[in-house]
Amino acid sequence: MALPTFLQSIEGSSFSTWMRESDSPFAFYFVLLFHTFGLALLVGANSLIDLRLLGFFRSIPLAPLKRFFRIMWIGFGINATTGVLLLISYPTKALTNPDFYIKLTIIGVAIWILTKLQKNVFADTTMTEADMMARGATLAKWSLLLWVGAISAGRLLAYTYKYITFPS
Amino acid sequence: MNLAHLHLLLNHFPIIGTMVGLGLFLISLVGKNEDLKRAGLIIFAVMALLSLPTFFSGVGAQGAIQDLPGVSGDLISRHEGAAMLALLFMEITGALSLVGLWQTRKFSRPARWNVMAVLLFSLITMGLMSRVGTTGGDIRHPEISTGSNPSENEGMLGSFVHAFEPTPSKVTDLMIENKFWWAFMMDLHFIGLAMLVGALGALDLRMLGFAKELPIASLHRLVPWALVGFAMNVATGVLAFIGMPDFYTYDAAFWIKIFAILLLGLNAAAFYLTDTFNVVEHMGPGEDAPPLAKIIAASSLILWFAVITLGRYIQFYQSTLTGK
Repeated sequence: MALPTFLQSIEGSSFSTWMRESDSPFAFYFVLLFHTFGLALLVGANSLIDLRLLGFFRSIPLAPLKRFFRIMWIGFGINATTGVLLLISYPTKALTNPDFYIKLTIIGVAIWILTKLQKNVFADTTMTEADMMARGATLAKWSLLLWVGAISAGRLLAYTYKYITFPS
Repeated sequence: MNLAHLHLLLNHFPIIGTMVGLGLFLISLVGKNEDLKRAGLIIFAVMALLSLPTFFSGVGAQGAIQDLPGVSGDLISRHEGAAMLALLFMEITGALSLVGLWQTRKFSRPARWNVMAVLLFSLITMGLMSRVGTTGGDIRHPEISTGSNPSENEGMLGSFVHAFEPTPSKVTDLMIENKFWWAFMMDLHFIGLAMLVGALGALDLRMLGFAKELPIASLHRLVPWALVGFAMNVATGVLAFIGMPDFYTYDAAFWIKIFAILLLGLNAAAFYLTDTFNVVEHMGPGEDAPPLAKIIAASSLILWFAVITLGRYIQFYQSTLTGK
């Protein structure tokens, strides 16, 4: 099957070429670094909330943890942006790898769960901790599982690709 | 200074440090002195951390001398295998010591099982570390060595231990044989990163004044969770190093990363061993941490993000150092 040629045109753009071929530490590696920072903010904070909802660290009051949603959304914003930049750098590599679609699906569901946690568990300030935990436990379980899956699928992208760039 | 200097600079600490730690620990058991016991545990934890750069610098030292006349590859390999085995026990001793220190904080003394386990593992570590020292000395000290046959040099006891130790080149091959094993290790390294930064980041941010509704005391309960992440990353990091020793050894970003991790150890010492922790420990909602605690929290955040940054740039800065 012939690969769609738009992959080739994206790769041929000056930004994509610069990202791949520049010797500057501020090209590809810099974007990748911020993708990792975003991961740390988003998954780091989300996993704490998940674990707390599942009954770990019970001495931490639950409601104030809603302050961490802002950090998680900043992390997600960084990763959506850097993710697009990384995709522009290696469009063929990503889009010809089934693992890439698995990763995006997992992240989509994990972010959907994040919004549910925010709306259904943390928005109503009159809820007791027991109510919050009862409502959030299932979401939290899935959230933890999906984030481990997202990191794993992301790591696997480096080891499962078929093409690095558009085959000539 | 080159990497061989670094190895010579560091390599006595784990051996002598373990002996000093064990000495204090034994005296504390005989004299029933909890402060001394705590000191012993702290020394074990510090040695476990210092053993990492000591181990890593060995490859650079090997690179610097292996082509010199009279240097035996067999002796180097024996020393490396001995170091791997000793490092394993050293890291377990360090991890057990941290558990003991946590128990000391909570119950004013470590649990009985912990004392027994630390005692057992530190004794084994000391024996194995001594062997790392003698096998290392054999490489470049003809005045104490009988030749280039490792087993003759070591005598019966060392050769007996040798039967249980890994062959360095085989462990290296094992790490890189299957790319999915490597991918799995890197995956764990990233999950460990998220655990570590998530937990310590929350504590650090609170000390800096973010989300003041949270009591610092309860956020501090996250530290063991962070340490589990750290332990995962030490394990996967050391295995990755063993898998591609030359890749990491001649990389400036790698060494600065390790240095930053040592600085984080110093930062933790500044937190726990000064009065700072006692002041912060019982702080409830709304209370403001003192300036020194804020400086320590900020250093921790900056250093952890520096560690991530340097780790990310290892590939970029490969082959930036020369062997000589």
